[in-house]
Amino acid sequence: MASYGGYQQTGYGSQGGDNAGGFSLGSQPGGSQGGSGNNKRNFADDTLRPLTVKQIVDIKDRYPGGEIVIDGQAVTQLTLVGQVRSVNSQNTHILYHIDDGTGMMDIKRWVELSNQDNITRFAPDTYVRIYGNIQTYEGKRLVTAHYMRAIEDFNEVNYHLLEATYVHLSLTKGTAAGGGDQGGDSMDTSGDGLFVDNRGAGGDAALQQKLGPCSRNARTVFLYLSKQESEGTHLNQVAAGTKLTAGDIMAATDELLGHGLVYTTNDDETWAIMETYD
Amino acid sequence: MEAVATPRITCAYLNSYVGKNVIIVGKVIQLRGEEALIDADGNITAHLNREAHLLAGNGAQIIGKVNPDLSVRVLSALDLGTGVDYALANTVVEVSHQHRDLFIYN
Repeated sequence: MASYGGYQQTGYGSQGGDNAGGFSLGSQPGGSQGGSGNNKRNFADDTLRPLTVKQIVDIKDRYPGGEIVIDGQAVTQLTLVGQVRSVNSQNTHILYHIDDGTGMMDIKRWVELSNQDNITRFAPDTYVRIYGNIQTYEGKRLVTAHYMRAIEDFNEVNYHLLEATYVHLSLTKGTAAGGGDQGGDSMDTSGDGLFVDNRGAGGDAALQQKLGPCSRNARTVFLYLSKQESEGTHLNQVAAGTKLTAGDIMAATDELLGHGLVYTTNDDETWAIMETYD
Repeated sequence: MEAVATPRITCAYLNSYVGKNVIIVGKVIQLRGEEALIDADGNITAHLNREAHLLAGNGAQIIGKVNPDLSVRVLSALDLGTGVDYALANTVVEVSHQHRDLFIYN
């Protein structure tokens, strides 16, 4: 009887002082359960993550049933943008197949019987924004949507992709210090890094002289190419390696071709540097 | 999952995606029957399907397969109206190729 009473009191918190024995007995299951439950559900950590479908498909479970983590940060609420590919209406829910160009996945939208007529069903090919959370069902990722709306302005699709990239970079490379120009700054440092490396390794005054009249981009591309295998490096690889745009790389290689520093190999978009062992 | 991924590309990337499905966002320059000329950082010839309803001067998103002659056989075409920021669309293509782990299966 005493322990029963104690248990009840601890369930409500700190008013069990006059019933010491019961308190200590009861406080263990009651207290620890309540406490850990409250701590786990820390709403301050709930973030709304903009993601691409590929990021969700690529999630690796650290252990079955564990927290879902992307880029080292737990994911609770997320937002996705994609095109509806198919709609499957059931009594209790609507299942959408969503494609955002990076992959496809299923979105489940629960429908309450009382609310059935108020739920919009989105037609195939409509671009939609989805707010929801990730679930794992039979080994497959599924997003349960709390809210979905059609996208009116197509630019929102591109905006979402940039936002997802921005958040990914903030989490993996650290938050940008200032506003606006962080992208340019980080590119600058990587570019400078290349120059320093090259000078340090080769001490190549002749090379620097040759690159003298070249633009920054041309230098970056040349130095990147000089580190690759000799059969030639394709535009895509150069773009990924130098973080320059395809247009900038074409302009840079035109310049380098003009100076006779590189030559095209397999096709017009694959280059190798002119080897000079003089 | 590779089969369902359709990378976003512009004209400059056509070469590397022959035989693959891609997404192209650009401005419709000209419509000639079942053929459209689309500007996505360079002109692309698109062979439309019957369901396509594009308008010259408007933006369009086409999803299709790149032919060996670098034209695109359209599987799905979407009219995007007039308010499309093409510079933004081209930037997204570049960004998606630079951060491949978010966008593209190798």
